[in-house]
Amino acid sequence: MKTMNFVISFLKYSLSFVIVLGLWEAYARYGGLNELFLPRPSKIGDKLYNLFFKFEIIEQGTIYWHFFATLAQMSIGFCYGIIIGNTLAIIAAFNETFRRYIAPYAVVFNVTPGIAVLPLIIAWFGFGWESKIALATLVCFFPPFINTLTGLLKKNDEAIELFQTIGATHSQYFWKQQLPNALPEIFAGLKLAITTALLGTIVAQFGSATEGVGILMQRFAFRLDMAGSFASLVTMAIMGLLVFTIAEVLDRRIVFWRDTKGLERVSRKKQRKLSSND
Amino acid sequence: MAATAKKKVKNSSFGQTVIDGKNVTKIFGETVTALEGADFNIRAGEFISLVGPSGCGKSTLLRLVAGLIEKTSGDLTVNNEVVTKPRTDIGMMFQKAVLLDWRTAIENVLLPSEIQHRITQDDKNKAMASLDLVGLKGFEFHFPKQLSGGMQQRVALARLIQTGANIMLMDEPFGALDEFTRERLNIELERIVGELKATTLFVTHNIQEAIFLADRVLVMTPRPGRIAKIIDVDFDRPRDISIQTSRDFNIIVEEVRDTLGGH
Repeated sequence: MKTMNFVISFLKYSLSFVIVLGLWEAYARYGGLNELFLPRPSKIGDKLYNLFFKFEIIEQGTIYWHFFATLAQMSIGFCYGIIIGNTLAIIAAFNETFRRYIAPYAVVFNVTPGIAVLPLIIAWFGFGWESKIALATLVCFFPPFINTLTGLLKKNDEAIELFQTIGATHSQYFWKQQLPNALPEIFAGLKLAITTALLGTIVAQFGSATEGVGILMQRFAFRLDMAGSFASLVTMAIMGLLVFTIAEVLDRRIVFWRDTKGLERVSRKKQRKLSSND
Repeated sequence: MAATAKKKVKNSSFGQTVIDGKNVTKIFGETVTALEGADFNIRAGEFISLVGPSGCGKSTLLRLVAGLIEKTSGDLTVNNEVVTKPRTDIGMMFQKAVLLDWRTAIENVLLPSEIQHRITQDDKNKAMASLDLVGLKGFEFHFPKQLSGGMQQRVALARLIQTGANIMLMDEPFGALDEFTRERLNIELERIVGELKATTLFVTHNIQEAIFLADRVLVMTPRPGRIAKIIDVDFDRPRDISIQTSRDFNIIVEEVRDTLGGH
């Protein structure tokens, strides 16, 4: 019954998608659209097919090479970003002086558009991978910082008293209560960071690059190859969806206690584990 | 019936003094006197209710005994030792259950053991027994969010039992629950505490609840927080909920009301 419902709703969504594409295609074929602005879906599809299955070479590489180069730059930038953001957040959570002094910088930093410093980044790090990683790091460290800090500072006086009365040390309180209690916020920060890291990477590729989906997009647009540009855009969307889905799945797995389904799943699992031990 | 229910409990049926307060005063900041000149003497195995309106210092008194806050002046000893910091032979329960959402009921109950040492099979068996004692058999692997408010407080009580503390401090533990649940939990608490023979300090603003559970009721009045009167409650244990309608019970209710009424 459940799978049946899923199939039906899947069909409904697919149908509406096909209708939109069909109308778009039909309108373009009757000459309603200037294809220098908006290419018809079949042309974008063709281009995607060529890129992904005919291994068309652009700038010394197939789309797979550009895809994974971007993914790698983004991932490294993301890792640096969350390490910096979370480290700062933990220091700020425990040191009030540090927190007070860092606050104004954090505000200024947050309102400054990070991608605007690209020229500086290129001047410092050059045209290679370093500048992509650096910009990704720069634009993505703030969400983890502010979210983790908020999570760690969540007020919980009674939990503190409870841990005191059972004789817990500060570090036991941190590992058993404060950190797990902050996990929902920490993961919200990571999800924001992963998409901003992708943004930073692609924008840095616009600045200067020999590989990456950002450079694909730019080359196609300069040649007025609109189908190519849109195919690059679709590729970026796929990449965004991919990394976001990974983050979402991890979030659901780790912060399982947020929704009823997760609670039921883990509860059943623990019960089974006990009965198999017996 | 009321006459048979009432039977004098000799003071000697309790052990020696475990909590001793003389002229205990707590002033927050410079001017806020939360508790003034409190004298009290609690013996092993006694159940003491602290009753009074908000701001009468009943929670302050509890936290002083727990070692969570420091007194401003006076003498306060637990088992003949001056209270300076929290100690593991004193356990506490709060208005909120304060359960860790990411841990099952049994994992929450095991927390105090885990803080002290590596979990052993003995600890697990004890946790199962504690949950059984509070009527949660079969719910060991439920998460707090899958339990009702009353059941969450039962888990908190099981966790308190798990600590093995022989002094239990309870800060309005059933204050957020509906009347029916509260009544049932009172009856069970009376039974459980009787079985464990623990010394209990129970804070509440519900007069009936205070009297039903207690061997003695400390009636407290606000601004500044003071112990206005200590009233003996001499009903046999285990107690039946029907004593609440008895004449003797209502005489004590009146006495508490009169004490509070003057303030």
